[in-house]
Formats: sequence, C-alpha cells, structure tokens
Amino acid sequence: MKINELMTPGLESISPKTTAKEAARKMHDLHIGSLPVVDDGELVGIITDRDICCRVTGMGRDAVMTSVADVMGKEVVTCFDDQDVTDAVQLMVDHHIRRLAVLRRDNSMAGFLSVDDLARNSHELASNVLQATTQVH
Amino acid sequence: MKVQELMSSEVESVTPRASLRHAAHKMRETGFGVLPVLDDGRLLGIITDRDISCNAIAIGRDLNSTDVQTVMTTDVATCFSDQEVDDAARQMSELHIRRLAVVDHDNCVTGILSVDDLARVSGELAGSVLEAATLEH
Repeated sequence: MKINELMTPGLESISPKTTAKEAARKMHDLHIGSLPVVDDGELVGIITDRDICCRVTGMGRDAVMTSVADVMGKEVVTCFDDQDVTDAVQLMVDHHIRRLAVLRRDNSMAGFLSVDDLARNSHELASNVLQATTQVH
Repeated sequence: MKVQELMSSEVESVTPRASLRHAAHKMRETGFGVLPVLDDGRLLGIITDRDISCNAIAIGRDLNSTDVQTVMTTDVATCFSDQEVDDAARQMSELHIRRLAVVDHDNCVTGILSVDDLARVSGELAGSVLEAATLEH
C-alpha cells in the first residue's frame, strides 16, 4: 500500500514568524496536535501542542513574545507520498518517531503519516512503531 | 495478566492549586505529557500538555495566576490495578482513549496504563485501541 492511500492530507500550515499563542489557537480551533511550519512554500519545521507547553511555558517564556521558529522542531523526517507504507514504518522505527511529514516528488507538503493512520491499516505495524518509540504519556 | 503487571507506576502528579506554569515546567522536566491531579492522594482530574496549550495559552490566560484545576479534565477514566489487562483495553476502545488512570480501591492513583504499555505485550491489543482512539476525531 502506498503512503498516499493512508496518510492524513494536510492542508493547514503555519508561518515561522507567527506567535506561539496563535499557533496554539490554531491547533485548538482545528482539533489537531501539530502543524507543519512552512516558509515560502518550503517545510522548515513542525510545531506541536507539547512544544508550546514545554518549550514556551515550561521554560518561562511568554507565548505572545515567542515565535513558532523559536520552539518548533527543526529536524523533520520526511517520506514521499508514492513510497510504500512499510518504508515509512521503517523510517519511524529507525528514528523513534510516531509521525512523518509526507512530501510530493516536487517537495511540496502532501500531509502527515502517523502511527494512528497505520493502526487503521495494520494493528501489528502500528504496534511495532509504538514499541520502538520513546514512551511519553 | 493484571493491569499492575503492565502499567507505568512511576507517575508524577500536581495539586489542583498549582499554577499552570508549574505544571508545564514539570512536564518538561519529567518528559510526561499527562499529570494526574491529586488532592491528598485522591484523584481529582488529569491535566495534559495539550490542555495547557489549547485551553490556556491559546486564549491568553495568565499562566502564573491560573491554577491547574481551572483547565484540568475532571471526567477521568480509571481502572483498578487488579483488573485484567484485556478488560482495561476494552474500556479504552469503548471510550476512544489511549490511557487510563490506575487506582486502588481507595481511589488513590497507583499508575497509568497506556496504549504504549499494551504494545509491549500484544500488538493486536495496542493496535485496536489505537484504531478506536482515532475514531474520536
């Protein structure tokens, strides 16, 4: 099965210059836990609700004075939408992560593939990823 | 297998009157994304990194003066430490959630049972809980 048959297509993104507060607002409104950070059409990072909690508030920063660029994760592991799902699983296991950014071959952002998406296709594959990743409750 | 054989018993907690900044700091320090809220050892609620981002930072609450009990979830799903794991997993699936607070028969928290814990013993069990949890969105 190809990644694009299972991924969650991502239409939403955020600019690195946005404030952390606005990013939190957007995640709240959209009922999502992470957003790709896109600058001039290029993927430059990922920001999660946990980043905002722990790297802004948890470090004594002010969410209005802090930009997305200051707290986003800059090392984004990516795959291509026409790759096989098993390639994606291998990438997640190797990097100990639960989510991959999915790119089209022209490097534009196509969406995300998460361990949740895997669970819809194979309980075993999803569970392998869970076991390989560090446990955060 | 009993829940107590599989659950994570290393649990960090906060008090209901602690500030959100304190809770965020604790989440960053310990790596946990969820903290049980305890009053005299009794479970009052649960607070997550997402609650702090989306229910406090997103709407501009003051994180020093807002306390944990203002944004915590009070409707906490629990199981007993001497309950069967299969039973607890079924509970998670039915409620579309990924973790349960584990309590003893005095409602004192003894641990957290998460889908990650399930993955260590059964890929099928963990995968089906994860799949059910994604149906919530």
